[in-house]
Formats: sequence, structure tokens, C-alpha cells
Amino acid sequence: MSESEPTLQKPNHQTETPNYDDAYDAIVVGAGLSGTAAALTMAREGLDVLLLERGPAPGTKNVFGGVLYTPTIRELVDIDDAPLERYIAEKKFSMLSADGDETAVSMRPSAWSDDPHNDSYTVLRRRFDEWFAKQAEEAGVTLITETTVTDVLRDGDTIVGVRTDRPDGEIRAPVVVLAEGANSLVSETAGLKDRPDREDVAVSVKEVFKLNRETIDDRFHLDGDAGAAYHYFGEGAVGEAVGGGFVYTNKRTVSVGVAYRIEDAAQGQTPEATLDAFESHPAVAPLVRGGRRIEYSAHAIPEGGADAMPDLVYDGAVVVGDAAGLVLNSGVHLEGTNMAVESGYHAGKAIAAAIEDGRTDEAALAAYPRDLEDSFVVENLRHYDWFHRTIATDRQFLFEDLPRALADAETEYFKMDRSSKEAHTDAARERLLDATGGWVGAAKRAWRFRRMLS
Amino acid sequence: MTDGWNIVVCVKQVPDADDVTIDPDTGTLNRSDAPAVLNSPDRNAVESALELRAAVGGTVTAITMGPPVAKAVLQTAVGAGADGGVLLTDRAFGGSDTWPTSLALARAAAELDADVVICGEESTDSSTGQVPPGIAAHNGWSQLTYVESLEPRPDEGVLVGKRDVEGGYERVAAQLPVVVAMEFGANVPRPAGLHRKIFAETEFEPVEWTASDLGIEEQVGLANSPTKVGGMDTASPVERERVVVDSVDDLYEHIEEVV
Repeated sequence: MSESEPTLQKPNHQTETPNYDDAYDAIVVGAGLSGTAAALTMAREGLDVLLLERGPAPGTKNVFGGVLYTPTIRELVDIDDAPLERYIAEKKFSMLSADGDETAVSMRPSAWSDDPHNDSYTVLRRRFDEWFAKQAEEAGVTLITETTVTDVLRDGDTIVGVRTDRPDGEIRAPVVVLAEGANSLVSETAGLKDRPDREDVAVSVKEVFKLNRETIDDRFHLDGDAGAAYHYFGEGAVGEAVGGGFVYTNKRTVSVGVAYRIEDAAQGQTPEATLDAFESHPAVAPLVRGGRRIEYSAHAIPEGGADAMPDLVYDGAVVVGDAAGLVLNSGVHLEGTNMAVESGYHAGKAIAAAIEDGRTDEAALAAYPRDLEDSFVVENLRHYDWFHRTIATDRQFLFEDLPRALADAETEYFKMDRSSKEAHTDAARERLLDATGGWVGAAKRAWRFRRMLS
Repeated sequence: MTDGWNIVVCVKQVPDADDVTIDPDTGTLNRSDAPAVLNSPDRNAVESALELRAAVGGTVTAITMGPPVAKAVLQTAVGAGADGGVLLTDRAFGGSDTWPTSLALARAAAELDADVVICGEESTDSSTGQVPPGIAAHNGWSQLTYVESLEPRPDEGVLVGKRDVEGGYERVAAQLPVVVAMEFGANVPRPAGLHRKIFAETEFEPVEWTASDLGIEEQVGLANSPTKVGGMDTASPVERERVVVDSVDDLYEHIEEVV
């Protein structure tokens, strides 16, 4: 090279690797909705946050039915830019018998069609979670993917960091946020929570069918970005198990799945056979006919309610989202992602305040469980705690007898023959009373389930 | 050579083969649909570069040519242990085929005083395998292709490569500087250490060189690419006849008919 030519800038060689112990204020384990909400909240409060995700991108490992409730997310990010699929314009609750009967209640309040659409949207997690984590990165969060946390690091009783599956894989920080999801192996290994009881965990399997947009609009009577959320109960939905089925519309796909107690799966009712039977039910099959199956996923759902919630706060650590068992299934309400975001948000706020005070012990972080207790999350969990016990007791009636009796009663009531309407009404009433155990039985059952709509 | 070798490893950002689709109308790859990742054979190249550094000392510099987002593959290489990175980025490079691409990489390798340049044997998005020999040709350097493993002899200024050839292997000793094309799957790439990965993705910054920095702005890009694509076609699958036969005799009859 001659003298006159400018010399190129040479690459800086950095052979020595810096050590990032205590370079971050907090480490978040898992870039799902609760973890990212916590990371984003802390970053907005000025904290340096490291967000660790085991998948190749956020959302790749996440499974949920399909409806995201967005009141809290809306506070954190500009939801208008989010990859939403459809807003929920219609909800349908449907009883299916094993004989092919369907009895349904459908609702389409016009208010749901107006912005903000009751903050209920179908989303695809692969796209949404990646977008949500991108918002966190833009707020300053460091996201590191393909890194699985295997354990927490302790100094005495205090949690001081995490161990990952990578070489040189330990890293320390004042606070660890465990947002690892329903299958919370780290929290269990670290003794932060007990292995949940079988009765408190549901298994969910779901398939996504590709259909074109017009077909979905026609089949579900939808226009524009409107979408439908159908929930199914009874023997025709999940066979002899306790649980339900669902169908949700996305833009160009339909999500179909079932969720029921893992206890029932352990008794021999396999997820694939259950889903197969549900998809073959005459009420469901026409909705997905001709669709190309493009995704199959399965996941565990913590359904223990408020009683099964582990301690949420430790010296140097908090537990959020599914890992904390924050999922609501009241039969009518099926919620988890909104509670995940809410818990991440409260945890993030509490951690920021604690670090501001220069403390990260359990007492300093106690604002998190306190705020969560005051929020809709724990209130709803407590309110519906009775539900699972009650349906488990009444399974035979709810899932087998009632759907069939309803169908029989409808058949009687609307029967076209040469007897009088009054005779039809009597016959229909008789069918229902038979199933409910007479007037007394019906009254008792009504009393037991009164809180479902309260 | 007491202070080790200048080892350069060439890496390329390609669409994730798991997600790539072909546009049935144009017959071209829908590259934009698939997330961009490090070309898999380049992982073997990075690994052998790091092993070579461990054996003879020196440094490993990763280089790539592409748009600014191609920085991601340099981060992957630095995360695995490369010491630094160079991003060749310039609109002038757009549309380059293997000829100008290997020229740019060759000039960059010369600029880095490379003793050894290591590449993956081919890229998963175009599969030509022409770039490593192209780099050697442009610089008049020796080359070792289809290499399974390397054995450095720093005292002699020689790199011995075990080459995969039909029916066995051969061992070839090459004078430095030398360009190596590593076979896909030749070694087990190491995972990035946690702290190194954090460094690579947060603090590491590659230097950026343009075509004119390398004095080749008139020799790169689509206009200087001899490859001309005459047309694209997609092969439509042929429906095969399926027959179930009940006995060996039936099978024999069917075969006889066809033959």
C-alpha cells in the first residue's frame, strides 16, 4: 500500500471477554408475556435488564388458546402497532353431547365492535411475543435467546443469579424474575414452589388450520377484523374428562383445541384422541373442513387457583405469570395472558422501587405480592376458587346428562307432530328435571353454580 | 511465526432453510419471508478457525459481505469466540455473484494480512461452492477444498488439510497464505459462552469497509457478475401410480407389464 492511500480502520480485536456479573439490575427468566412485561416495566423505570429466552425467538415456545386481553399491555406499549389477528366480536358458549347435539348461547354486543373492542384480540404468539419483546429491547432491555436457565444461584438463602446451559453460563444480578411458564422446572428445582398436584394442572392441545380469509368470514359470519371465540363444554367436547374445547378465528387461520385435567389424561384419555373427537363433532367439523393443519402444539396450564399459588417473593427473586399459577378458568372466563402481564407489571414496579432504595430482600420486594393481591388478578382467582371443585363433583351431570337432556328437551319442545304445544312443553320439562334430579336437585345445582355469573 | 496466524473466517447470512419457500410464479426463493441466520456450514468454518487459533496462536477475524443487518452473523462468530469482525457493506456490492463476491472477500483478506482464510464449503441458499476457490484465485493463494480436518505446521509455514475425496481421503500440505473450504459437519461447533454472547450482542461493533475502501468499486455488483439467469422453472411433482398387490405372482405380473 502506497503512502498516499488512506489506511483502512482495522477491526478491534477483543479476545478477553468482559464479565457481566452484576452489570444488570435484574435478570428475567423467560421472554413470554409476564417476563417481557416485567422487563419492559423495569427498563422504563431506568433499570438495566437482561432477558433470557430458551427459544430461538420469543414466542416460539409459547402456547395458549388464542385470545389476548390487552388492558395492561395497552398501558405499556402502543397496541395499534401490534400484530393482532382479529378482535372478538362474538362469544359463544356451547354444550356438546357425545351424540352430536349442540345447545349454544351466542352473544355479539355491538359495543365489542367499537374501539378498543373490549380489549380482547386473537393473536399468534410466535408473532406477538416477538413484537412485544422488540418493544422491550427498544426500551433498553438486553434480550439473549437460545439460552436455557437451569437453576438459580444462591448466597446463603438469597438468590443472587442464574445458571444457564451455556459454557461460562453463570451470571449474577441483584434480582431474578422467574417467568418461566407453567412447566416451571427452575422454580421447582430451586425449591421455590412445590410440584403442582395433578388435579391442579390441565393439559391443552391445539391445532391451527389454514383457511383463506373469505372462508373464515363466511363460516363465522364475520366482517373486516371481527373475530369469534367459541367455547365448548360437555362430553362432546372433552369426552369423559373435566374441561372444555375452543375454536378461535385468526386472520387466515382457525385455532382449535381442548383443555382438560392432566389427571384425566393420566387415566388414559389421550390428548390426541380427545382433540380428534372434538374436531370430528358435527358442531365443530364444518368450521375447519378443508383447512390445512399447519401447527400442532401442547402445553400445561396451572389451574389450581388462589390456593395453589406459590410464595411470589424471596430474597433476590420474584415469581410471575404461569410460573406463579396465575391462570383463571371459571368456565365462563378463561384468562391467563392478562394476568401474566399484570403480574409482570407489578413485579417490575416493585423491583424498581426496591433497587431505588438499594435493597432486594423479600421485605423490600413485598410490594409486588401486595399490589397483585389488590389487583383483579388475585381477586378473580379467589372469587372463582370454588369452580373447579364444584365441576369435578358434578362432572357426570354437567358433561354427560345435561347436554343430552338439553338436546332432548329442545327436540321435545319444538317437535312437529299432532300433539299440543303444552304436551311438548311438559315433555321437555320432564327431560330436564330427570337430568337435574327433580325440582329439588335443580334448585340445589342452581345454588351451587349461582356464582358462575356473579 | 511466533506471534501466531492471522486467521480470517468468512461467514454468510442466509434465509433459514426451515422457513424458506419458493414463489411458484417466478421460481425464485422468497428470501424475505424467512428469518436470516448464519449459513450452517460456516459454523464448521468458525469452529475450525477457533481450533486453529488454539493450536498456533494469533487471532480470528470474521468477515461478511451484506447489508447492515448482516452484522448479526458477525455477532454469532464473535459470540463463539472470534476476536473481531469486518462487515463489507456498500450498495455497490448489490447483485454480486460469486465472482465479485470472492474478489471483495479476497481483497479484505489481503487487507487483514490473512495467513489462513476459512470458509464453509458452500452456502445453503445458493450452493455453488465457488467462493472459497474464488478467493484463492483472486489472490493467487493456495487452496484446500472439501477439508475434514486441519493440522497446522507453523514452523514450516504450512497448513495440512485432510481432504475428502471419492473412495477415501488425501492429505495435502499447502503453503500460507491458504484458503480452506471446510466440509459441512466436519466438526462440532461449540456453543457460545454466556458472557461472550452478551458481549457479542451488546458491545461488539464490527468495522465497516466499502467497495471503494477496497478499491474495487468498479469491479463489483450486478454489472460485473458474469452469471446470467436465463429463466426459472419449478418442477411439478409427478403423480405416481400406486398399486397394492396381494401375492408375489401378482407383483411379478405387474413388473412384467412395466418391463
